Amino acid sequence: MSEWISRNKMTVGLGAVVLVLAYLYYFADKTTALSMYRYSWSYAVPLVLCAMVGVIGERSGVVNIGIEGQLLVSAFAGFFGAAYSGSLLVGVLAGVGCGLILGGFLAWTTVKWRMDQIIAGVVLNIVATGITSFYYKPGQLLPALMPHVSIPVLSKIPLIGEVFFKGTGVIALLAIVIVIGIHLALFKTRWGLRTRAIGEYPSAADTAGINVIRMRLVNVTLAGALAGLAGVFLSMDSTSSFERGMSAGRGFLALAIMIFGAWRPLRAAAAALFFGFVTAAASQLQADRVINVPPQLVGTLPYVMTLVVLAVAAGKVRAPGAVGQPFVKEGK
Amino acid sequence: MSANPAPPAQEGTAATPPPPTDTPRDETPAGALAFILRNQSFTVIVVALLGALALGAILIRYQGVSPWYAYQTIFHEALFTSGGLARTLTKTSPLILTGLAVVLPLRVGLFNIGGQGQFVLAAAAAGWAGYATRGSGFLALIIGLVVGLLVGAMWASIAALLKTTRGVHEVITTIMLNNIALGIIWWMVTPGGPAAYKNTSQIPMTGPIDDAARMPTIAGLPVAFLVSVALALVCGWMLKKTTLGFQFDTVGKNKFAAGYAGIGISKVILLAMAFAGALAGLAGAMEVHGVMHHFEPAIGGTLGFDGITIALLARSNPVWTIPAAFLVGILRTGAAGLQFATGIAPEIVDLLLAITLLLVSIPVLGKWIFRSRADKVEAAATSWGN
Amino acid sequence: MKASRYLAAGAATVLALGLTACGGSTGSSSSAGGSSGGAAGAPTDDSKCADAEVFCIGLVTDTGKVDDKSFNQAAHEGAKKAAEELKGFYKYVETQDAKDYAANMAQFTNKKYDAVVTVGFLMTDATIEAAKASPDTKFIGVDQFYDPAKVTVKNATGIQYPEDQAGYAAGYLAGLMTKTNKIGQVLGLEIPPVQKFAKGYEAGAKASNPGISVATVYHPAGDNAFNDPTWGAAEAQKQLGQGADIIFGAGGNTGNGALQEVAKADGAGESKFCIGVDTDQWNTVPAAQKCLITSATKELSQSVTDTLKTAQKGDFEGLTTMGSAGLAPFHDFDSKIPADVKTKVEKVVADLKSGSLKTGVTL
Repeated sequence: MSEWISRNKMTVGLGAVVLVLAYLYYFADKTTALSMYRYSWSYAVPLVLCAMVGVIGERSGVVNIGIEGQLLVSAFAGFFGAAYSGSLLVGVLAGVGCGLILGGFLAWTTVKWRMDQIIAGVVLNIVATGITSFYYKPGQLLPALMPHVSIPVLSKIPLIGEVFFKGTGVIALLAIVIVIGIHLALFKTRWGLRTRAIGEYPSAADTAGINVIRMRLVNVTLAGALAGLAGVFLSMDSTSSFERGMSAGRGFLALAIMIFGAWRPLRAAAAALFFGFVTAAASQLQADRVINVPPQLVGTLPYVMTLVVLAVAAGKVRAPGAVGQPFVKEGK
Repeated sequence: MSANPAPPAQEGTAATPPPPTDTPRDETPAGALAFILRNQSFTVIVVALLGALALGAILIRYQGVSPWYAYQTIFHEALFTSGGLARTLTKTSPLILTGLAVVLPLRVGLFNIGGQGQFVLAAAAAGWAGYATRGSGFLALIIGLVVGLLVGAMWASIAALLKTTRGVHEVITTIMLNNIALGIIWWMVTPGGPAAYKNTSQIPMTGPIDDAARMPTIAGLPVAFLVSVALALVCGWMLKKTTLGFQFDTVGKNKFAAGYAGIGISKVILLAMAFAGALAGLAGAMEVHGVMHHFEPAIGGTLGFDGITIALLARSNPVWTIPAAFLVGILRTGAAGLQFATGIAPEIVDLLLAITLLLVSIPVLGKWIFRSRADKVEAAATSWGN
Repeated sequence: MKASRYLAAGAATVLALGLTACGGSTGSSSSAGGSSGGAAGAPTDDSKCADAEVFCIGLVTDTGKVDDKSFNQAAHEGAKKAAEELKGFYKYVETQDAKDYAANMAQFTNKKYDAVVTVGFLMTDATIEAAKASPDTKFIGVDQFYDPAKVTVKNATGIQYPEDQAGYAAGYLAGLMTKTNKIGQVLGLEIPPVQKFAKGYEAGAKASNPGISVATVYHPAGDNAFNDPTWGAAEAQKQLGQGADIIFGAGGNTGNGALQEVAKADGAGESKFCIGVDTDQWNTVPAAQKCLITSATKELSQSVTDTLKTAQKGDFEGLTTMGSAGLAPFHDFDSKIPADVKTKVEKVVADLKSGSLKTGVTL
């Protein structure tokens, strides 16, 4: 533990400072602070899940710019699945299932057929927009609201409990588990080691006896389920309707957050929360008439900061080595 | 993303596809089969297009409309109604340029998906400049076009500079730049913004361009179309006949070789992206000065992304972007007529284009048609991490 | 090798069939949507539109869809109703590209349609150009303003709505209903129709309750400003968290997201309320019924129907047709709103209509 702290001085220090500031603000103005923190988290949930799709994909060596499309189709399938079947569960399964299918599509075309990964992603996005707007049908309703729960004990913690565990949706709760789970899996398990290996140096991994092709296929496909979950969150949890183009660029924003978080799940989650807070602060300033920062420019902040980080910290912040390259087994 | 231990075996797959005229193979059967084998890329494109139309036909059938009638309507609307061809050509011209904006970087091994951002930002700047210099007649047109060209080139150069100096992948940067450009243009023209036109209804737009500064039509042909076609031909000539073109292809095919040959890789990358941005920017400026006569955010439409489809349909050959863009132009022009005649929502065209893009870029199609005789070229590749 | 090829072909066919089968279930209605024959005895196609006795109505959207739960839909329904009542024929085209306005209107004028409705202020200039080119067709521009100093055509009229009055009435009601003296509004893009609603809402709230505070937020991104319900929901949640108890959602699907969020909150319909916009959203957003006390409406459908009837009879009254704006019925909340509040609000609505009360909103 102490060794870990000394290795991550910056992270720990920054985290502690942020936490202290957050609590100071919380005790100074509880209602405003709390509403802004809750806003940040609900802003972050779909982004975090989508960023995980990106992280798993790129860590395995497959770049996924089709997240936006996966998100949109899943939101579509989830909402209409639930509306037509009259069952929320069917909707969730349909959404997650669509995420898996599109993940599988991306995996199969890029890994098996070695289609260019960027183009596969672009195709996915365009197809998603076309299908969902062509087959959209108005006037549908969800059969019920998604359940919201409070975790006993945990929800009593000031700030953290109130933001993350009190009256939050199941998907938001799952997102916490998923992020921590993926972080641990990526850095502490054999699966994680192998995943990073096939993303950094697939030929070495292959020599070591890892089935690169199969592992990439499985990882990218399964990651699609997370995009599915994010889509379901959009159309069934955060709102109760599907609208054309409702993903509103979140899939691309997730890519920015993934990079801003240096391809690490926990940092990506922190980045998403940070951008959520910036957005909340901007609209708060607008609502309170303090200053009216042009909202259009505030919206570009995550992208600008990601570019700045990439420009400044290039070398330190670096994508997995083999990202974007199809794997060809030697002698084949 | 720059340093990467790519084994040499992968260089081939990462290379840019050659233009559609492929080298003949050793065993040469006679007749039609030989032609098909020699022109595999072309055949694949035709098969992909037919496949997309067939799939589209099924979709249309399920809407309760005869596919034959639907396709007939699209083509009739786009080509044979009065003014139809002119509108199709008007739509084709920016498509040629946004297609070229993808093609040129692709030849250097870069994938520019920032055409959309370059286009809208340049269009906004051109509209603003064209309005600010109103009263100066024809000069305002020149100023608008130059401003659009420069802004587009500048915006694309950011991605190129980040690539050459920091090794950041251009796909990531162009995605970010697209979103930043959107924020900027909306800020510019939203009432209260710097370029917003204070009209009575306060529509988010820039002021109207003077009549004298509008791009004219010569003998029914929009000047923008002539310019676009000329630029496509120039790009084709540049890539085929000039030293710079040779350098483009060398860098695209093999960076190591290019380095040994003393080609300034950074310079080539920067030039390719700047050219691409300038073309997309010029398209934006010409749309403002030639079609809309003011700038409004909706001007971008799906032009940037259609450019990707066009570039891949054209197999990254500049000259081929002309027919590819023309085809997309026909579909886009015919879409509204299709809804008028049959009630099918115009999004059917988005679906058709998406299926086309999928079939054109999926490498197995070529392998499936030609089996053992298939060329060892990928349908398209962007050489991520090269 | 051969077997696998057939296998692939088979798989592709199955996939294609599957795709289209999905479409079949939802697609049939959309093919019927493009053209609607209207009442019995009405023409079923547009082949006779050139005849004087057959009244044909066309509608062109501004890069929106006729099922957008907002102004395109309202205008579409108004035009459909007019066709039914006049035993005419109605058809619409949804614009995909802002450069196609002229071409889409030409679809109708080529077929000698009698009236064309164009929806949204983005089409203002294009509509006037089309009116000049086709003097025999009457053009109705919804949400459009034609400057009499510049426009001389006789066959076009722009319908304008006093959105500020509707907003004012809604704000007046909110000012009387709030218990926390805090209300909020979640808005789409910062453009005039939205701004007029928003400023009217604030002015009305301050008129009935001078100590009130109004939180106002516009959507930050242009492209999705009217189509981001997730953002609207999050903003509404934030405002509720800060003590606001009435939220005005004005901005297409973005605002609808806010309404739905309020409906989900604890105390929705008891201590927390929401107010819809444009049309009576009791019908268009049923998920918000739990909190929706009223909607600040522009009588869009009605004004389109009425103006079309005028067009059929003869000339327009002028370049500008004033539509009305006001409050939608209270529906289930009719019994929950105190009688004195209702009286006061009704008086304000009446005074605004008669012109004796001004909202004081300027843009």
